[in-house]
Amino acid sequence: MTDDITTDPSRPSERMRAGSMVIGKLPWILAALFLIILPVIFPANSAITIMNQMSITMVFALAYNMLLGQGGMLSFGHAVYMGVGGFACVHLMNVAGFFDYLPLPFLPLFGGLGGMALAIAVGSFSTRRAGTIFAMISLGIGELVAACSVIIVVFFGGEEGVSADRTVGMPFFGVEFLYQREVYYLIAFWLLLSAILMYLFSRTPMGRMANAVRDNPERAEFLGYSSRWVRFYSFVVSGFFAGVAGGLFAINYEILTEENLNLTTSGTILLVTFLGGVGHFFGPVIGTVVFTLVQTVLSLETELWGFYAGLLFLATVMFFPGGIAGLIMMHEPAIRLGRASRLIAPYLRCFVPAFFAVLGVAALIEMVFHVRHASVGDEEMSLYWMTFDSHALAPWVVVIAVTAVALALTKRTAPALRVAWHDANTPEGGAA
Amino acid sequence: MTAPALELEGVTKSFGKIEIIRGVDLSIAEGERHAIIGPNGAGKSTLFNLITGRFAITSGRIRLHGADLRGKAPYQINRMGLSRSFQITNIFAKMTVFENIRCALLWPQGYGYSFWNLVHNQPSLTEGAEEILEQINLTGRRDTMAGLLSYAEQRALEIGITIAGGADVIMLDEPTAGMSHSETDYIVELIRKVTEGRTLVVVEHDMGVVFGLADRISVLVYGEIIATDVPEEVRGSPKVQEAYLGTALEAEH
Repeated sequence: MTDDITTDPSRPSERMRAGSMVIGKLPWILAALFLIILPVIFPANSAITIMNQMSITMVFALAYNMLLGQGGMLSFGHAVYMGVGGFACVHLMNVAGFFDYLPLPFLPLFGGLGGMALAIAVGSFSTRRAGTIFAMISLGIGELVAACSVIIVVFFGGEEGVSADRTVGMPFFGVEFLYQREVYYLIAFWLLLSAILMYLFSRTPMGRMANAVRDNPERAEFLGYSSRWVRFYSFVVSGFFAGVAGGLFAINYEILTEENLNLTTSGTILLVTFLGGVGHFFGPVIGTVVFTLVQTVLSLETELWGFYAGLLFLATVMFFPGGIAGLIMMHEPAIRLGRASRLIAPYLRCFVPAFFAVLGVAALIEMVFHVRHASVGDEEMSLYWMTFDSHALAPWVVVIAVTAVALALTKRTAPALRVAWHDANTPEGGAA
Repeated sequence: MTAPALELEGVTKSFGKIEIIRGVDLSIAEGERHAIIGPNGAGKSTLFNLITGRFAITSGRIRLHGADLRGKAPYQINRMGLSRSFQITNIFAKMTVFENIRCALLWPQGYGYSFWNLVHNQPSLTEGAEEILEQINLTGRRDTMAGLLSYAEQRALEIGITIAGGADVIMLDEPTAGMSHSETDYIVELIRKVTEGRTLVVVEHDMGVVFGLADRISVLVYGEIIATDVPEEVRGSPKVQEAYLGTALEAEH
């Protein structure tokens, strides 16, 4: 009888993501080692600046994903919790004698408390409903707090913001945080600590119920939990870690302005998190790395970086809603079957031309942009470490030809890749 | 004499001007297996939603172990010892089977809104969930995503979630809807097994399903209970045959 309804559990495709739900200590130790040696690999000041920015954004993105990914709450105004936490910290730094009692590395804790306080106030009414109502309230609050920055000048400092000096404090074990690298280690420590705590939170009864409420609020109510309070607690904890990110921002940049509160910043963190993938804990981390690189490195190369970032986001939403993390985890069944290696050759055959096609299309966009916007008489443009005349015919012919060939090759190799993908995901002898 | 497990007194419910439930009186004793049957549109699911606090009643009174349920939210009613399943399969599709059950154990085991315990370090949660999985014969599917289960398995999981918390009043809303005969027999057997010693209220469209399961059957037609009796009497009653089977036949045409 039971055979009728119990399909074969020994089929690997039926046993998706079981053990992988709980991460052991090893990944954290590796992450810690990685964070420690990173400034040794990239010792340049500019690199450390980027890494600091990344680490702060990671804390914020992970906090944001507690809402979006874990709790199913779409917030359009989460920057305010980071911002308010940051403002709280710059003010504390400016309090005379504050650092006599507390060294700088503890400051982000107060940023967290600041973000949490605001989250308690806002969450008390915004978490009654999820979905559109929650999203609209978050948008309203975001706009409201950003507007407050020019109204409540005492706290937000008006248009010029509030600045502080992190080095006024007592040295912490001899470290005065004069140098970027010292600040890097402070931020990296908080990044690791926050990430571990946020991960552990997702493994607690509250964290599990946040998932349950996200998937099915009505059912959760019949398990004895109030969906509203589950959302509220997730919201408050997310506000705390967003505030921690704000505190780190205050330490790193020593200034907070309206920009830390506004809707652009809120929108960016949504973009970062979604790009990385909301369905996996480490998704926002990947999203931060990719986005920060696009923002810092690509913006040095082209004025159009925002355009490419937008395209990347669009492509993610439309074709890979699981984000980059989702793309990576898609390979889990094939790896489990020990067949992932079968994908390497088809991937190379398809993605190398695809890569050139993307470069070609980007080159065309850049050339059109140059022709249209360069000052009169400036016909020389450089692209991909080559300098050429954007008004001459030859570069256009070459770029169009390369792009067309690359596109054609991509198209031709795509069916083989599809077959290989199916093959790699089908258990031996079984028809999946 | 102890209070009945569940007691309804003159319960009515109107949506706008339309009265869906028109004065229902019902008393279900502790440990009784009670079925509420009726044709489509009789108000079975509405009645169910009234008892479980999903909708507010318009007038009347509902008592659980003698305690008035007026104004109580679903989660509060659940904490008072009543658990329900849903007509449309209502599980946590993106969690594993094991996690579905474990979530159902959190509140009853006293974890509340805890953010300081790690769920995978709690032996009582793990053991409790394993035990329920054993009862609903889903041990082999422990780590499967619930959304990937077959329909009958999902229904079994739904029953597992409903009973896991140890509620003493179990309410099942059409637990065999959309199932084949063999699947129906299987689920009915499962229900009988896992609700042993508890009060059971089943809403069913199909009288045959509950015939062997229920101690007593109430027949709900157009928002009123026209008969409450042991299965044999209900089946033999001309009034029931006329009202219930008549409309059921019409519905099939």
